[in-house]
Amino acid sequence: MPTASIVVPAYNVADTLPATLDSLLKQTFRDFEILLVDDGSTDNTLRIAEGFGDPRLRIISQANRGLAGARNTGIHAARGAFIGLCDSDDLWHPAKLARHVSHLRSRPDVGVSYSGSAMIDGAGQPLGLSQRPRLRSVTAAHIFRRNPVGNGSAAVIRRAALDSVAWRPTGEYRRNWWFDETFRQSEDIEFWLRMALTTDWRFEGVTGDLTLYRINSGGLSASVARQYDAWQHMVDKLTPLAPAFFAQHAGAAQSYQLRYLCRRAISDGDAETAATLARQALDASLRPLWEEPVKSSVTLAAAVTLNLLGASRFANLRAVLRGSSTAA
Amino acid sequence: MTHKTIVHLVDDTNAGGVTRMLDYIQTAPGMAEIGQHEVLVVQRGRFSAPDVTADTIVSHLSVSWRNLPMLIALRARYAGQTLIHVEHSYTEVFTASHVRNQRRFKALLRTAYSLFDHVVAVSEAQGNWMLQRTLVRAEALKVIPSCVDLAPFLELEPVYGRPRIIGAIGRFDAQKGFDILIEAFRATSNPDLRLRLIGDGADRALLEALAEGDSRISFAGYQADPAAAMATLDAVAMPSRWEAYGLVALEARAAGRPLLVSPVDGLKDHAAQGARVVSGGTLESWQASLEQLAAIGPAMHIETARARAAARASMGATQSLWKELLSSSDATSEDALPAAA
Repeated sequence: MPTASIVVPAYNVADTLPATLDSLLKQTFRDFEILLVDDGSTDNTLRIAEGFGDPRLRIISQANRGLAGARNTGIHAARGAFIGLCDSDDLWHPAKLARHVSHLRSRPDVGVSYSGSAMIDGAGQPLGLSQRPRLRSVTAAHIFRRNPVGNGSAAVIRRAALDSVAWRPTGEYRRNWWFDETFRQSEDIEFWLRMALTTDWRFEGVTGDLTLYRINSGGLSASVARQYDAWQHMVDKLTPLAPAFFAQHAGAAQSYQLRYLCRRAISDGDAETAATLARQALDASLRPLWEEPVKSSVTLAAAVTLNLLGASRFANLRAVLRGSSTAA
Repeated sequence: MTHKTIVHLVDDTNAGGVTRMLDYIQTAPGMAEIGQHEVLVVQRGRFSAPDVTADTIVSHLSVSWRNLPMLIALRARYAGQTLIHVEHSYTEVFTASHVRNQRRFKALLRTAYSLFDHVVAVSEAQGNWMLQRTLVRAEALKVIPSCVDLAPFLELEPVYGRPRIIGAIGRFDAQKGFDILIEAFRATSNPDLRLRLIGDGADRALLEALAEGDSRISFAGYQADPAAAMATLDAVAMPSRWEAYGLVALEARAAGRPLLVSPVDGLKDHAAQGARVVSGGTLESWQASLEQLAAIGPAMHIETARARAAARASMGATQSLWKELLSSSDATSEDALPAAA
């Protein structure tokens, strides 16, 4: 039985899948299997995966169930004591699995080991930006406000920790659920927060940008309202588990979530949405302003500037600023 | 068999699981065979060990930084005696939801547990948690499910028909999750169903406010006779947020009442023995389970009967596990001496 399993949910990812699988097969820690779950793709995804022919790659095909449903199928089939998640457009640094396996082995009370990520663009080129989350002393409140796990390709999870949040919903006869398949967005934060609120497995990060996280620009802010609804639905769902926790932290977390959505709207040049979200973020809580004053005020300033300049001039300004900051 | 003296130390005398289990230890014939049990109430946070004349000392004390000096003093003063600790409080979900600094808290538990020759977990789930988080060494851990006198519950006629009155028994406190139950029950539409809450506590006003306007929900107050209270119910729901063992679940099983539990901590033990799990912890899942319960079929009756048989057997099991632990401690106390010195 392999020490580790890597679950790769795949839906119509013919373009990016080869690079993802290459990066996983080049891991310096070699005792692992990959569970590629083809989630009802209508493109070449399945054929490309089958073309790899590596004995460590196991391919499962299912009718489309969404990201959570594909991950659950992979987790169900995984045999490793440590289970990594990697989305089919992201890449892993060659040392990533080795670092997480040794981290989890040396710290028996850590259930979730994650790392920071470097952002890459659609073509796989580095953007020079990183997600550098908090690595130590992570509480449920940190996860709720500023989820340090960050993205769907950052974590390697101990099997026992995964299974402590598994359940079998009514009407599901095949396998358990770990991620909640009724969510089509916010399924990650729902999962991490549920784990943090109902188990005492610790979340801890290792240093280094060990995930290469792909940012696809454009068309993001169209889904802002849906994203926010999903996030609110997550809060409503989990509140009965820990009412006091949500009473204490929901305002600040909401403000951080709105700030995040506001930044995405700014990236897309959607001035009106950005302005509304910035205002709502301030209404929800002022905590982000004194907890993270620089990022919060930059976001606010950007929202204001975007509204004053308009999208195209704002984009020019941003390009100039980024150029000078890289040079500095 | 020599007549041993076993002293049980407690620092919490409120009505609750610890008190009820101590009553049982003092009165059960099987427990008296092991030796003479005495209960000594000690003040929380004292620095010295209490004066005790005993062959074995069993701590039911709460482990805290405040109590740690006393626990250390206990080990130092009674280096030659067997010391046993019973963990009535701490569980995985309690730790997840209440402890801000988990590393510090687990360091406390490891330190405190290391002072004892044996640590007793009150459920398999709690014991697994202690082992998995390396809170206690495997050879020192013993799982002995808590018990009370189940005879009055076993005398009740079991309920194999369709349940109409669903009950919830316990302290009105966030731990018990009765707020979830009331909200989920309100969402059910069957006009014949009833929800009866038996107990009292700080959250009473809050729960009454949640139930306001649904005449199917009633509050019966605290009942001194738990078997009589159980007799008025057709089924029992335990939506607890955490639970080291859950004596009410054991009583419901013994009484042959269909039982719904959330799959947390010690309640998982009851799920393995015939209780029905409501997973997910959401209002929707509880609502669906309550509705299913009202449309109960033969499968549930089999589970209820199995749960009852297992509960009947558990009384004997608890006694023999204690007997085994306390008689084996003659041998281990010699081994414990150099380690403690």
